Amino acid sequence: MATRERIEVNFFTPSTPNMRAETRIAKIILTIWLGLSFGLPLLIWAAGLGDPSGLGRSFFTESRFLGFPLHYWLIAQGCTIGYVLLCKLYCVLWDQKVKKR
Amino acid sequence: MRQGMAILGLALVAVVLGAGQLLAAGEEIYQIEQGFKPIPAIIMLATMGVYIGVGFLSKVSSTSGYWVAGQGIGKYGNGAAIASDWMSAASFMGVAGLLYLKGWFGLGYIIGWTGGYVLLLVLLAAQIRRFGKYTIPEFLGDRYDCHSVRLIAAAVTVIIAITYSTAQFKGIGLICGWIFGMSYTSSVFFAAGVVCAYMLISGMTGVTRNQQIQYVVLISAFLIPLWFLVKKAGGAGILPQLEYGKIISGLMEGKVASGLLTGEELAAASKIYLPWGTGGNIYQFVALVFTLMVGTAGLPHIMIRFYTVKNEDVARKSVLWGLFFIGLLYWSSPVYAAMGKFWNPLGGKEVADVIILSAPELAGLGQAFLGYLAAGALAAGISTVAGLLIAGASAVAHDWYATIFRPDSTDRQQLFVGRIFTAVLCGIVVITALNPPALIAQIVAMAFAIAGNTIFPACVLGVWYSKANKYGALAGMVFGLSMSLIAMGGWMLKSPFFSDSGIMPATSSALIVCPLAFLINILVSNITAHKISDESADRSDNILRRLHNLPGAVTEAPNKKSAFGH
Repeated sequence: MATRERIEVNFFTPSTPNMRAETRIAKIILTIWLGLSFGLPLLIWAAGLGDPSGLGRSFFTESRFLGFPLHYWLIAQGCTIGYVLLCKLYCVLWDQKVKKR
Repeated sequence: MRQGMAILGLALVAVVLGAGQLLAAGEEIYQIEQGFKPIPAIIMLATMGVYIGVGFLSKVSSTSGYWVAGQGIGKYGNGAAIASDWMSAASFMGVAGLLYLKGWFGLGYIIGWTGGYVLLLVLLAAQIRRFGKYTIPEFLGDRYDCHSVRLIAAAVTVIIAITYSTAQFKGIGLICGWIFGMSYTSSVFFAAGVVCAYMLISGMTGVTRNQQIQYVVLISAFLIPLWFLVKKAGGAGILPQLEYGKIISGLMEGKVASGLLTGEELAAASKIYLPWGTGGNIYQFVALVFTLMVGTAGLPHIMIRFYTVKNEDVARKSVLWGLFFIGLLYWSSPVYAAMGKFWNPLGGKEVADVIILSAPELAGLGQAFLGYLAAGALAAGISTVAGLLIAGASAVAHDWYATIFRPDSTDRQQLFVGRIFTAVLCGIVVITALNPPALIAQIVAMAFAIAGNTIFPACVLGVWYSKANKYGALAGMVFGLSMSLIAMGGWMLKSPFFSDSGIMPATSSALIVCPLAFLINILVSNITAHKISDESADRSDNILRRLHNLPGAVTEAPNKKSAFGH
């Protein structure tokens, strides 16, 4: 095999239009993923800092959503349903990308 | 029709309520009886027979059929296979108990185990399918053009496969003892025999078909009791996964089956559903979630599933379906935990352990359903064992024997060796399961940290960073693996630094180690860039062309190709 030009792949500086489209989709999904996985718990934590007992009582634990304590629903179902929808969004964006080309 | 259903529903409620009154609330309804139960036993044996029959019908005669099911699985099928690969006897029976004990904090496991699939989908799934070969060690070994990388990845795969399958037998033994009155030893032989039989005949094709059946059995067995339980707890019984919210809100105010809790009991019952009521803090939560996520995305027996599908489009869609199928279980486990709290708010580990197994009795579903639930739990156990053994055996037979030791062996020889190593691995698992070394439980608890620190960074950089080379990969993987092992050692020696409340909890070490492993791989790769020969770089580039659909990718030299021919 003759020596050829080295190829360049980098998630943050994609080198071809196709790769650029792929990483753009990946970045959108990962940003939302980050918010769900770590943003929400941090929010619940920050809101609960005011509880002198240290158990994290806050607006989130006092409010109710669909009958659930809000902090419980957000993690038990909000996050997980969010992940499934994120996967769906990824597939939709990808199909759009394929159609465009 | 509607009216008929409503009347039937009412009749069922009446029956359930009637049965419920015979049982007083408390410990006694959370006990399971050992001993032979004829109807459940027949149901269980029948499902085992189906698995072996399906294995026989999917007989294979090529290595591609044996390792990756001929790459012909569709999105629903692969989704179901991903889900039942994933859902072990432990997640079937244990997650509800975990949530019962750990309350809100325990939800970290659920988001960790589901969120990891998003990472996997976005960063790896399609690219791994484009690579198109059979195993993760093979991907890493070819991409970095280095046999040492291949061997480390293969070793990690085998260690995880053996320890993880061994752990399954704990659950399997519990179920067989419960239904057949079998001893633990005979349960191990029974379950291993069933798995081994259909695996050896059919390879991945039969494993995958069986996993699809097993998924249906396990999820239906898991879901059905919920409707009865929720009704019994005073819900409408339409969608238990939403109705249990009221029960949790009630628990936080001390409302349980036996009335209203007060004083210290109230404080104890409501505390568990507050964020830090079970002793954790935000750092531990985030570290746990992160570790489980990168671990899930780095487990070889999960990633191997992307090789079995028809094309990368199916690879993507099967993650979506797989995650949905897994979600069905994880949306329902907390319901069981809440029911457990409702009837037994202050129970300990004994109650937590049998929440699922005691559910049909509590719901008044009768003997036949008991057998079905047990069959479901057993399906969860053996589908995971089968997936693990295939991944582990392929690491030895394909990555070591067929690639390094005997690169010129024929397809037929490789298939034969594949079967031998599958049987050998099965034998090793039986031996370790019969006499489990104390280390097993620790390694299982560490598996996510090991996979997330070792395999995940190497795979992601392998796909997305063309400068990453063999030296970087080796440095990163050795660092990740040894840090995981050091953490495990420190944890066993009860060093406070690695304890659950320490700075780097051993089971959640990836929050610190994984990013460092990325960094080390990148740094070392850049420092050693000049050491890579042109031929080696050409080979790596060729893989990258294939991963990203770049022009100019060539298939390997013909002599190697014939060895892997379909």
